[in-house]
Amino acid sequence: MGTHALPPLDTDVAVETPEHIVFRHRVAGPARRALAHALDLVICYGVVIAVALVVALAVVGGAGLGGAISDSAGLGIGLLLVLLFAAQWIYFAAWEGLLGATPGKMAAGIRVVTTDGRPVGPPQAALRNLLRAADLMPVGYVVGLASMLLSHRFQRLGDRAAATMVIIVPRAPRGFVAPIWPPPQPDEIAAMPADVLFDPEERAALELFLRRRAALPASRANELARLVVGPISRRFAFAVADPVRTLALLYDRAQHAGRDEAPRSAKRGARWR
Amino acid sequence: MALTSRLTEGAFVSSRQGAWGELAHLSQRAADVGLRRLAPADLARLSPGYRDACADLAHARAARYSAPLVEQLELLAAQAHSTLYAARRGQAARVREAFAAFPRAVRRRKGAVALAALLFFAPLAFGLLASLSDPTFAFKVAPEAMLRQLSEAYARGFDEGRRGGEGALMAGFYVNNNVGIALRCFATGIFGGLGSAFYLFQNGLSIGAILGYVISQGAGANIGVFIIGHGSFELGAIVLAGGAGLSMGWSIVSPGEKTRLHSLQDTSKDVVVIVAGAAAMLLVAALLEGFWSGSSLPAEVKLVFGGAMFALVSAYLVLAGRARAEGAP
Repeated sequence: MGTHALPPLDTDVAVETPEHIVFRHRVAGPARRALAHALDLVICYGVVIAVALVVALAVVGGAGLGGAISDSAGLGIGLLLVLLFAAQWIYFAAWEGLLGATPGKMAAGIRVVTTDGRPVGPPQAALRNLLRAADLMPVGYVVGLASMLLSHRFQRLGDRAAATMVIIVPRAPRGFVAPIWPPPQPDEIAAMPADVLFDPEERAALELFLRRRAALPASRANELARLVVGPISRRFAFAVADPVRTLALLYDRAQHAGRDEAPRSAKRGARWR
Repeated sequence: MALTSRLTEGAFVSSRQGAWGELAHLSQRAADVGLRRLAPADLARLSPGYRDACADLAHARAARYSAPLVEQLELLAAQAHSTLYAARRGQAARVREAFAAFPRAVRRRKGAVALAALLFFAPLAFGLLASLSDPTFAFKVAPEAMLRQLSEAYARGFDEGRRGGEGALMAGFYVNNNVGIALRCFATGIFGGLGSAFYLFQNGLSIGAILGYVISQGAGANIGVFIIGHGSFELGAIVLAGGAGLSMGWSIVSPGEKTRLHSLQDTSKDVVVIVAGAAAMLLVAALLEGFWSGSSLPAEVKLVFGGAMFALVSAYLVLAGRARAEGAP
């Protein structure tokens, strides 16, 4: 797995598709899920309280008119009890069954998927949320938390039974490394070694640094580059005055070395190798 | 080091970018309007487009192209993967299927359902007999004041009927309370079935004791007429939910040749159908209990209706979905 230079974090779960493509999902931990849950509780019980206020007002208003007080009150309280039921048993299953995430989960940037990385369907969403009743025993999700800590996918009991997990929704990819500016000069190209090979960790670190370069003040970029430029330029026997530019040139050559149609910076007079 | 490709990243991106854009567009549209409503031509392009993107991703990883490009391709492939593998069938077909799947699942689990019935009805009979012979037994399971109020209410009968508002209130209460109890009875079955057994026993005992107390106070006929209309739905559903919970618990205790986790997953996928069916039965029960059982209709009508409902529920659970199950290859 060439591009995953760094060993994956232990909160990553690899899922292989039938096409033999491996996706890495970051599973969401208890803290982020608790945040999402708190938001959902605020939404659910906010609605219940709002309806309760309306019912109370209607009952008080009805009392002035006399007559059908108990009818409207009965209807209102009946409705409230149904809403309470829905908040406890339907809200989570419905959102997750239809969209894969409750509003709280969407806000926290997490989503429920099966352990094969596929979207959850209504039966799985129903099962994992029915078992919420077991997970929150004896108090405050103690059982669920214990189950999550004993699972490498942070699965509570409901997740285990329904074969689901909660993952962090991948963000849009980060920016690319900007091309070197000004373009490599002939003397720089001539001085560069033909064969620049970084090991994957070095390459990933350089890439991260060069992507951030535009956002860094020049002095800070220099300071950071100077930390690593010494050993690297000694290894390749190449350095220009500016340490940032040294790293950028070497990275550019490592990326393009040996490829057809490579940019000029990657070639040196004669064909490489 | 051998490089797997001689194509530069730039050349690779510029040759494939068009296809990626198209795939991103297609899978976004499929996610928005649903796979079924995609134009046939688009649908035909989606799957090859996804496979090409997978190949591109594998290539980009092998050729060690830069991380942002690989991330972009991963995101693209993941998005298309979610869309393609989420295909769902039409709603009407699902409802029809569920209607037959519920009794079939119940019959597959008839051992557990029978055990649940025993765990529920044996304490119920015990509570009933105990408080018939000594009404103060009922005070051990429910507060005395509540029981006195209850038996007075049943002694009055239903001639006045319930007002519309009261019916709605009670229906809401039954939804929240009874369906909640049944679902909890199922969910706690994951602890080796112990939770389900506890809820079945506890509910059986208190229903029996309260029933016995009300009968001992001379309101037996009235409470019988009240219960018979919705009883087959309500008591049946609690037993079914408990049976589903017992199955789930047993699948962990005795997984057979599977791992415990797989056994749990297979069984709970199967029994969740039973729980959904039981919840639907309890919703029917709540509506009946709120608006029918407490109404001022004559007792004879309620008795006949109750008997018919009992026959209907039993016939449905025993017979529905059989022909197709046997005819299936």
